[in-house]
Amino acid sequence: MPSSLILSRLLGLALCCTPLHALAGTAPTDAAERLAACSACHGEHGEGVSGAEYYPHLAGKPAGYLLEQLQNFRDGRRVNAQMTWLVGSMDDAYMADIAAYYASMPPRTRPADTGAETLTDTMRDTALRLVEQGDPARNVPPCTACHGKALTGLEPAIPALVGLPADYIIAQLGNWRSGVRHAKAPDCMADVASDLSPGDIRAIAVWLSRQVAADGHRPAPAGSFLPPRACGAMPHGEAAP
Amino acid sequence: MKNRRLAIILIAALPLLLLALTIGATLLLFQGGLAPYRLPGEAATPIDTDSELLARGRYVAAIGNCAGCHTARGGTPLAGGRPFVTPWGTIYSSNLTPDPEAGLGNWPLPRFQHAMRHGVAPDGVLYPAFPYANFALLDDADIRALFAWLRSVPPSDHIPPPNRLEAPAGWRWTQVVWRMLHYRPQNPDFGADMPAEWRRGRYLVDGLGHCGMCHGRRGAMGSLPASGYLAGGRIPDSGWYAPPLDGQQLARYEVDELAGYLRTGMSAHGSAYGPMGEVIYQSLQYLTMEDARAMATFLKSVPPRTRPRPPREAVAQPPAAADAAGLYEKHCSGCHGIDGEGGKDAAWPPLTHAVAITAPDPVNTVRMILYGGMAPTTPGNPQPYSMPPFVEALDADEVAAIANYVRGRFGGQPPLITAETVRTLHGITAH
Repeated sequence: MPSSLILSRLLGLALCCTPLHALAGTAPTDAAERLAACSACHGEHGEGVSGAEYYPHLAGKPAGYLLEQLQNFRDGRRVNAQMTWLVGSMDDAYMADIAAYYASMPPRTRPADTGAETLTDTMRDTALRLVEQGDPARNVPPCTACHGKALTGLEPAIPALVGLPADYIIAQLGNWRSGVRHAKAPDCMADVASDLSPGDIRAIAVWLSRQVAADGHRPAPAGSFLPPRACGAMPHGEAAP
Repeated sequence: MKNRRLAIILIAALPLLLLALTIGATLLLFQGGLAPYRLPGEAATPIDTDSELLARGRYVAAIGNCAGCHTARGGTPLAGGRPFVTPWGTIYSSNLTPDPEAGLGNWPLPRFQHAMRHGVAPDGVLYPAFPYANFALLDDADIRALFAWLRSVPPSDHIPPPNRLEAPAGWRWTQVVWRMLHYRPQNPDFGADMPAEWRRGRYLVDGLGHCGMCHGRRGAMGSLPASGYLAGGRIPDSGWYAPPLDGQQLARYEVDELAGYLRTGMSAHGSAYGPMGEVIYQSLQYLTMEDARAMATFLKSVPPRTRPRPPREAVAQPPAAADAAGLYEKHCSGCHGIDGEGGKDAAWPPLTHAVAITAPDPVNTVRMILYGGMAPTTPGNPQPYSMPPFVEALDADEVAAIANYVRGRFGGQPPLITAETVRTLHGITAH
């Protein structure tokens, strides 16, 4: 390990004060080569792979979010056999380095999949209502309240929703509903997903997959707005301005 | 009349009965006599808590990899519940934390010591998924330190799921019969006249490290007969092949190189992956340099067992449609080299002499191509390189063609792999 890397890790450990996201990673020098296993599905720079449209892009997502997903796969809170196979013997420090690498890449700007099903007017209305206003009667917050007005996420741990394939979003919300996917408690998205109907999820997913993030849109800076709920990865203390 | 006939039958049967008794007694003797079933007294013993003892216990637990088996994925360390799928059903590891109900909180030291050495506890005879045959070699001081350390970890009230075993394996007493047939205790005095480093290595390999659980060639009913000692074979419940560990297999490693591999998961001959990566990540990376050298010294002294011959009749012709050399050049040579020489100081492993390539069992080759791999992170290899999965990029015919090509060209192995072989190896079990 280069001494600068050791130093930066020691500094990272010394400066950290909250248990969450205490690990500030350093992107490996030849990350694209080291992470050839990741590139196969997520693209060399995490931009996604044409023809493998189910897999989410990683580029530009908050490092805290990426780190937590890697930990979730290793520790069984998220289930994807291929991911667990690859990260089962990986420590938090390397996970943080990998997260730092993909977080530093330019966010994907092309629509995720053009092959998704047609967006009917009804679906678009449902999606727009839920994304922008939510459904207070069912206790569903609007997507924008946590993922940002532009749906590009919020540092340090809320991911962008734009640029994701419809099938991927449907699968994740379905996994939350059926208890297969977990986040650290309180698991807000498990509550939100269980309050949505399968029809809502489909409408939101297809609509989202057609949105293009304007060029260079990164997650909103930490503390730039306050999500309505405290979540495991994003307690209010971290999000508050 | 009737009584007389009965007497005749009894007299006639007597030799048979005596023979059966003799065989039974002999088999009982072979598995250690009656001593394993004589449980020690339950007198409570004070448990030491001095820091030196706890540090030693922590090291014993790390190198014995207690947590590897006794922790469910993402679960509380040592609280048990990891499933082990056997042909007879599923066994769940037990809770080793000091919780009095769910764990070992009520266990006195003699009970623990007896279970470690003989695989027998008040609940019954333990299944041989627990390597008591290996732990029988542990000395008193290590067991005492391990026990003290286990008592010092946070208690967890997690109760692992009950075992799900078919009859008769589900009846604990049948374990006595299994032991009579298949369990032969190791000779603790083997190699007593060898140098101290060798003896320490044997203690770590055959005892604490229980390497034979994966690297032994299994016999009938999951047994580990002496004839298959470290002879390599398919690892139960993992879909991986473990190579033999002996002087011939490890000839290409210098002692220091092999010691380094055990601690870092990488070497000039390639990196660890699959279950070995897991063992290095969870356990062997914590070896002291002296202990790693001792293990390497011992392993290189092990005489090779006879290797099983590859089945002759099963030799398949590689699919004609797939251009194996072209596929290799396109998908593999970028990292492994045009001539299989590897790259980046073997972070991209050389294929010549690689275990997956030279092993009689092709399973590792196929699974690496299908699902890729990532070496374990260790202080000596904090940012490992990885191999991409090809399960979506290549079809079963192409995977078979590449696997046969690399095993033939770099390992001299016959082309055993068909597309059907590849399809049967599809799928990942992640416990």
